[in-house]
Amino acid sequence: MIGLLSDFQSFLAVYPQKWPSWSYDITRAVVVTLKITAGAFALGLVIGLVVAIGRLSPRKSVRRMATVYVEITRGVPSLVILFLLYFGLVPLGIALDAVPAAILGLGISSGGYIAEIFRAGIEATHRGQREAGLTVGMSSFQIYRFIIIPQATRIALPPLVNMLITVLKDSSLASLISAPEIMLRAKDISSTDFLPLHIFLLVGVIYCLLALPLSLVARVMERKMFAGLGARL
Amino acid sequence: MFMDSLAYIGSRAPVYLEVLLQGAGVTVMITAGSFLMAVFIGLTLAILKTYRLSIVNALINVYVELFRGIPALTLLFICYFGLTYVGTRLNPLPAAIIGLGLSGGAYCTEIFRSGISALHHGQREAAAAVGMKPFMTMRYIILPQALRITLPPLGNYAVGLIKDTAVASAVAAPEILFRARNLTTETFDTAFIYLLVACLYFCMTFPIARWVDHLEKKKASQS
Repeated sequence: MIGLLSDFQSFLAVYPQKWPSWSYDITRAVVVTLKITAGAFALGLVIGLVVAIGRLSPRKSVRRMATVYVEITRGVPSLVILFLLYFGLVPLGIALDAVPAAILGLGISSGGYIAEIFRAGIEATHRGQREAGLTVGMSSFQIYRFIIIPQATRIALPPLVNMLITVLKDSSLASLISAPEIMLRAKDISSTDFLPLHIFLLVGVIYCLLALPLSLVARVMERKMFAGLGARL
Repeated sequence: MFMDSLAYIGSRAPVYLEVLLQGAGVTVMITAGSFLMAVFIGLTLAILKTYRLSIVNALINVYVELFRGIPALTLLFICYFGLTYVGTRLNPLPAAIIGLGLSGGAYCTEIFRSGISALHHGQREAAAAVGMKPFMTMRYIILPQALRITLPPLGNYAVGLIKDTAVASAVAAPEILFRARNLTTETFDTAFIYLLVACLYFCMTFPIARWVDHLEKKKASQS
């Protein structure tokens, strides 16, 4: 038991020793991870909103296209989409850099999920809301802009924050197309310092620290939403 | 030009597919292994949680929060590269199964917990009233009902898991994407090969996704 404890202490002692040589790379890599996450999530929101409205469109062809998009992004791994964008476009003469490819790929794949979140939110707003908008002479764009979307967003917020956590975690995939984010830097460091367990555990802690505040926010929002619903009932 | 490349693709497709389908077998193995592990962990922890022991619950919560916050790729690297530091060398396949199983265990714990807590507490009280012991209550009253509730989210988890197995290519498990990468380094036919890969994954996930939709629709029409 005491042996284990001293093992553990010497294991931890490596961190203060090595941190000065790691800190520069890792802090810059965290910034890249955040950039990819933010970019991909923003793109996912735009795609998601468009596709969600498409899925509820009165036109059958639009509905079908939106459904196909959702089904494909639900069924194909993000990593394969990343590889398609990064390696697959090269024969067509399009060579994307790693970070834009990562943002585009993760945005495309999260877009399908976000569309489903928005759709659920839009469908949850009562039909009477739309009818009321029509009665006062609003156009269908105005109804979406001023009536449906503000309410749907409120319902969709907690799952959207969870989606943001998923995008954050999936941004680690970008290391496999050599975007200089946390996982790639960690791999570099582990192959120069031969401390794989230390560095990858540290990476795990970093991801947790980035995700934890978000999951707390999601939980508080869920509670608040139910409280609001309770008050209305 | 276009017809040429079409003919080329037509002649190569069977060759590619043969290699990729071998990879699909490995993908199924990784999926099945980590799914079983995740369900086992999830069910055990969710049942443990019903005993309301504060220390055990706190530990389970820490496990769930931690493993939900860490990317599967990081877990895989910890299992595959990290454990060599303490003298354990896992092969790619077991490393992938353990890594994905551990992160899936956290999800499944939440799935089963919400399934169990969705049951009306009268069920448990009724079982106690007819003199059932806690184990019997769990086995004959709670679990059969909770498992039915958890089927759709479990199906969704399985779809996500099949997609996540692509990550195992990074630790050289010979699954679909790994074989695809090897093929592309030989042929440079990246666009076509990765499109084939996307189709393969889609064929594997689509039936499950459809089944989940069907279950959810059935449930919605019942209530």
